[in-house]
Amino acid sequence: MEVEMSIRNFIVENFLFGNMDVPLGDEDSFLQKGLIDSTGILEVVSFIEEKFGIKVEDDDLLPENLDSIRRLADFVARKRGAAV
Amino acid sequence: MLVSDFLSDSAIRFPEKDFLVWRDRRITYGSMSRTADDLAAGLVDEGLVAGERVGLCMSNSPEYVLAYFGVMKAGAVVVPVSEQSTARGLAGILNNCQASMLFVDQVVLQTLPDVLSSTPSLRRVIVAAKGDIGEDGDEERIRELPPGSPAFRTLGQILTESKGKVAPCSAQEQDLAMICYTSGTTGSPKGVMLTHRNLVANAESIVKYLRLTSDDRMMVVLPFYYSYGNSLLTTHAKVGGTLDIGRNFIYPNMVLDLMLREGVTGFAGVPSTFAILLNRSAIRKYAFPMLRYLTQAGGAMSPRSAEELHRILPGTDIFIMYGQTEASARLTYLAPADFRRKAGSIGKPIPGVQITIRREDSTPCVPREVGEIVAEGDNVMKGYWGDVEGTSRVLRSDGLHTGDMAWMDEEGYIYIVGRQSEFIKSGGHRIGAKEIEEAILELPTVHEVAVVGEEDEILGESITAYVVAKERSGIDPHAIQRCCRDRLPVYMVPRKVVFMDELPKTISGKIRKNELRRVEG
Repeated sequence: MEVEMSIRNFIVENFLFGNMDVPLGDEDSFLQKGLIDSTGILEVVSFIEEKFGIKVEDDDLLPENLDSIRRLADFVARKRGAAV
Repeated sequence: MLVSDFLSDSAIRFPEKDFLVWRDRRITYGSMSRTADDLAAGLVDEGLVAGERVGLCMSNSPEYVLAYFGVMKAGAVVVPVSEQSTARGLAGILNNCQASMLFVDQVVLQTLPDVLSSTPSLRRVIVAAKGDIGEDGDEERIRELPPGSPAFRTLGQILTESKGKVAPCSAQEQDLAMICYTSGTTGSPKGVMLTHRNLVANAESIVKYLRLTSDDRMMVVLPFYYSYGNSLLTTHAKVGGTLDIGRNFIYPNMVLDLMLREGVTGFAGVPSTFAILLNRSAIRKYAFPMLRYLTQAGGAMSPRSAEELHRILPGTDIFIMYGQTEASARLTYLAPADFRRKAGSIGKPIPGVQITIRREDSTPCVPREVGEIVAEGDNVMKGYWGDVEGTSRVLRSDGLHTGDMAWMDEEGYIYIVGRQSEFIKSGGHRIGAKEIEEAILELPTVHEVAVVGEEDEILGESITAYVVAKERSGIDPHAIQRCCRDRLPVYMVPRKVVFMDELPKTISGKIRKNELRRVEG
């Protein structure tokens, strides 16, 4: 939950400009919501790398890993699990 | 010859051939041309008069292409607008050109109430659903239209009512085909008026130097509303080629997969497209035996990136190109054979275009003397819509004044040094920001950079570099300055280096340097 909350805060702060009124479910696709563009996704990647100490490989840059708060959180968990 | 004739002619030659591939839909030339005829007739029934302006505020899709050709076949003028425009931006454009009709995607509908209240010229809004053309017609039916004036219609309704009809098209070559609003990097948007002749001439020239044929398949990641994206549409329609419309470029690996699956032969991008491909995609793990060529315009590719791309895609030609919306898209290109010999150059004029480098007093420069790029050719715009003064500033007796500063070598190859306004005047030196940016981009840890001049009491302007690093560790301002010092005279080394997560850009991907100046200025 902590990871999800931290990702949510980052997305709201950086892509919704702090607007908490915009509904954003954990499963909502950033792509379908038009929330994030091609440079935005690179920001998200930098954020999770820095915040959670993981390395996102070029092959990992896919919507199944990155395209919702839940997917990001699951991806971080998998990466952390693999690193242990 | 009209732009819409490209579609009609290709439909006669290749009726069953794929024109567009979008998600899992394939639209043939025959089907697109017939449907565009239906739409043109429907628009005339709706009261559209030849010469009227019609806004297209839609993302890349078969429906955009249908609206584009349908409006032109009705003799009216296409005004493409980014679907990411704010309500204010869209209303400003529609009012400026006094548009009578507007096509929108469903996704744009929610911002429309704010637009409609301030656009009295609009009589019809036509809502397109993805699936209005093609076999999966019911995939995204429109459920509800907002109330109020102007009258709303759906694209589906109009097509049903006008099926099989053909509207006579009275447009001539010299009539307007499009008004493209420039992105406004410098000042408010200007409506670039392009005639059928302008667009046809440019498309014919591009087809010639890229040697496009009906076997070509282009991977489209650039928006069609952008003149570079528009040129992909016109050129492929002309030769009977295929456009694979990528949804966007957020996940470059998916685009790479699609390119491989569809066997695309061409890929077009702007500098940030290639920066993302090189730095944040798995491109090194792919091989593209079918990929014949890449094109880049909309800004310079650094020699380091160009070299790296060449190494990764050894069998693929790289065309570096230069142009302006005011020139329908393209003015020059660097042939792949000159890629190394003339690294850093934007090449020579494309067929049908003449370019001179001129001094402020309009006299021609001698080789290697920096002056303004001035262009002549059938592709040069008619002027800015409703802006006689702005038009006379750039369209002069000697041609189109581009505002871009460059020099030409003894063989006629052109090298851009920056925009007129991008010169930094520091300590009495006149410095092109681009030269410094290229030096910094030679550092493999740098993703993107923008160099601007900022007010300085002593120097007049001091140089600041805004840098986006690939990885934040292992790079500091001193490394950037050291890199510049190794490559440039000392007066060109940035005084200040600011690291950023991303650079502010216009929708079409140009860096907003004015905004950077405000950040620190």
